[in-house]
Amino acid sequence: MLESAAHVGLQATDGPLSMDKFGAESARIGREVADGYHRYHIDTEEVDDVNPLPHRFLVTVGKVGLAKLISKEALTYFRPWDPHFDVILSRPCTYGVFSGPLGGFIPRPKLCVGCLRCEVQHPEFVKVLPNPDLAKMGDSYTTHGHIAAIDEEAKKGMVPVRGQGYRGRFGGPGFDGMLTDMSEIVRPSRDGIHGRELIGTAVDIGSKPMHLSFDSDGKLSGSTPEMFTIQVPFIFDLPPGNLESTRLAEVVESTSRGIDTLACLDAHTVARNRLDAPNVVPVLDNAEASRASEFPRARLIELRSTPGRPWGWDAGGFDLAREVSDAIIGIRIHFEEGWQDRMTKAVESGAKVIHLLADLHGRGSDGTFVTELFKEAHMLLLEQGRRDTVTLLGGGGIVGADHVPKAIISGLDAVALDLPVLFALQGRSNGSLRQRAKVDGTLPRELDQEWAEQRLTNLCGSWRDQLLEILGAMGIREVRRLRGEFGRSMVVRHLEDEAFEGIAGYVGGGC
Amino acid sequence: MALLQDLMDAYQGKIVKPSDALLHKTTTLLQDGMNARAFGEFEKPKALGDARWTDELILSTWYMAETGEVPDKLNFKTGESDGGFDRLDFQFLQESDWLEHSEAIDTKLPLNRRGDGKNEIEIDIPWYGGGMSYGSVSVNVMMSRARNAKHWNTLMSTGEGGYPPELYEVKESVITQVATGYFGVEEETIQAAPIIEFKYAQGAKPGLGGHLLAAKAGEEVAKLRGSVPFVSLFSPFPFHSTYSVEDHSKHLDWIETVNPKALLSVKVSTPHDVDMVAVGSYYAGAHIIHLDGGYGGTGAAPEIAKKNIAMPIELAIPKVHKFLQKEGVRDKVTLIASGGVRTADDIAKAIALGADGCVLGTTDLVGMGCTRCSNCEGGPSGRGCPWGLTTTDIELQEWVQQDWGARRLDNLYAALQWRLRDILRKLGLSNVRELRGRTDLLSYIPKEAGE
Repeated sequence: MLESAAHVGLQATDGPLSMDKFGAESARIGREVADGYHRYHIDTEEVDDVNPLPHRFLVTVGKVGLAKLISKEALTYFRPWDPHFDVILSRPCTYGVFSGPLGGFIPRPKLCVGCLRCEVQHPEFVKVLPNPDLAKMGDSYTTHGHIAAIDEEAKKGMVPVRGQGYRGRFGGPGFDGMLTDMSEIVRPSRDGIHGRELIGTAVDIGSKPMHLSFDSDGKLSGSTPEMFTIQVPFIFDLPPGNLESTRLAEVVESTSRGIDTLACLDAHTVARNRLDAPNVVPVLDNAEASRASEFPRARLIELRSTPGRPWGWDAGGFDLAREVSDAIIGIRIHFEEGWQDRMTKAVESGAKVIHLLADLHGRGSDGTFVTELFKEAHMLLLEQGRRDTVTLLGGGGIVGADHVPKAIISGLDAVALDLPVLFALQGRSNGSLRQRAKVDGTLPRELDQEWAEQRLTNLCGSWRDQLLEILGAMGIREVRRLRGEFGRSMVVRHLEDEAFEGIAGYVGGGC
Repeated sequence: MALLQDLMDAYQGKIVKPSDALLHKTTTLLQDGMNARAFGEFEKPKALGDARWTDELILSTWYMAETGEVPDKLNFKTGESDGGFDRLDFQFLQESDWLEHSEAIDTKLPLNRRGDGKNEIEIDIPWYGGGMSYGSVSVNVMMSRARNAKHWNTLMSTGEGGYPPELYEVKESVITQVATGYFGVEEETIQAAPIIEFKYAQGAKPGLGGHLLAAKAGEEVAKLRGSVPFVSLFSPFPFHSTYSVEDHSKHLDWIETVNPKALLSVKVSTPHDVDMVAVGSYYAGAHIIHLDGGYGGTGAAPEIAKKNIAMPIELAIPKVHKFLQKEGVRDKVTLIASGGVRTADDIAKAIALGADGCVLGTTDLVGMGCTRCSNCEGGPSGRGCPWGLTTTDIELQEWVQQDWGARRLDNLYAALQWRLRDILRKLGLSNVRELRGRTDLLSYIPKEAGE
């Protein structure tokens, strides 16, 4: 029986179907499938701020200057028969910065968007300054720009749209040095963002055999797919540093359930709070691999290195976990020296999911950026003829919506989100955000479950829609096809070499 | 009571067409304020500028738009984006070999190189105005640009928002754009134009089509676009009748039927295969291939698209130029570059990289007061640009009056042409066309150690 037929509850009939009955049955199945079809969608809804970011701008108004201006204008324009209130009370701001009860005497900087009309119009007594409190948020990699974008995305759940062109540097390091391609004419997935044609963002977690085998009776023999599907190519990773808490675990668990993705949580937290669920990925130390049996509902369990052991591969722990659990056992491997060897051994031993980890600036221990590292991992598996038997998850340095497609182009199946969770929930950080273990962050004191869940849902909705923009521009119908598609990206450094070759002083390589 | 009502309306900021007194006050303050900043009477606003358009670049553009001259004390040449045009410089000759600064230095650019009997258009400067639709900007802004284009014997594109009737008075300087939503495309507007521009994509949002947010699609805008007021308008991507170069060719045939003399321009963005797209466009019959780079302007675009999709124009120009050369058709087509071209220096660099000329958009707006605050799409107020540029709000659009706008652009273009001639003479060239593809006259400013 067709899978779709089973889905709508039809039973196989005894005996052969006549042609007319077959046609009617097919039509009925088709109708019921269509009626029951639900296009995947993330329900976003704007939520209030609990711990708003510092305003983008500070607005200062000289009170004496303003008083003088009003007096002067009153004298100039006011006539009892034609008082010109519109002139005297006009304000140089369309955003309401000077529209409070006392106008410019008590400006409202939180409404300022930095158009500078007020400062240009009244240079003598109005100043608009970038807010240093905002500028000092984050660190050299996860900048206040990233944090502000995540905050907006988590608040509104929409794709940020603005006027004017790009304002930043030309290319740049890391993900900034990669551009995504587009197709000028050929568009199999056009209009995906506007919902007219589906662009799939579902990805498979687990293993597909590289080929199918059949016995002499035509029955399937050999290995079969061992995987499940999530609806977005991003999962929530373990909260970094000091952020682990029961409340946060509950929030990411419920959010991941709502949008049909995964949440990696410390196994102890999962057990203690009874969070075992198909969408939860308990993360166990290798030394505790036998505890994998405690999570019967988990579809994926990840093993991480025990302190003092090699970074991420322990054959004994892996075998033990597989023995006691039916879940797919994934291995977390840090980009430390020898990671390629550890990944190969893990895959050779039957690991179906490899979760690669760079530091939170997206660097491996030798300083290589994740786009190169993910590519190397992907190519290694390709060369070994094993790529489809393994799912590559990866994390580290993913702090913008554009980083998701770029990481997937680099070879990942799905990315793992870490710091974006902190900033989506309007948390704050102190110091460097480079080393996972040393992240010092604070979440809002009262982390309301519903509010926090909606914030994370909004972030995921926004990032998924932005992924659709990128896929739509390329004419790619599903994100699975983006994996390792280096040809759909452009590296600024390479483009520069091609464009500027021969120009005096250009030495290539982005130098 | 009426007095009280007036007072309440004024206090609450009721949106109405401004009175003459308010118009005079506001425009005077704005214009004086811009000049005061540009002339250095007050310090540079701390919140002004970004890596691509620095505070000095904005202020120098204001200076040029007011005076018609380049400033002494402001950088009017480059931004601080750390790449592309901002890392390129010219290898000028020894001062003793410089030519005299003279109007004899030819800046003319022919646009029809096919010799096919269609309009033989030659513009006096190697740039023209890029498409900004009615709706994304006001009629005042459109007319300021169009009148200036006529004055300079150059052109301006309508963008995709229809053809306001006022434009007919300068129709010989107005390019009609046909884009994927076909907003405002009519037989009359095709027949009126010397050039028809097919917009396949826009550099700031390549592959994503256009989007006019509901707040800016007011009654007049909707009327011209044949739509419902205050409903968001999407230009889909791509042309839904185009799946191949052959389909594209049919489009051009259609225009030729309606206006047999019009030149055909094809505006595309800069994907990996932009060179193939350009050649295909040429063989389909295009006279002008217009490349719009990834750092170009827009009235509204997803932030993710601006930086990440497709390549900056500096990297696309040489790719296309060289490919057209290889195909042996380089001299039969005009290559125009836009999307991040800000200054006369950028124009000259783009030409040296292989373009014939450029299209300016943001530069025009900055000349009329834009501070690049990025609220063109409506901003939190939903009313559009507070400077009166990218808005059709009945009050705000009045801050840019046509005479003033056209005068500012006239001055700005004079300064840009002066600087372009200055560059040419220092390179020993008497004609801008001699600069095309002369990468040997460029140098790359290498990064310092640790940069």
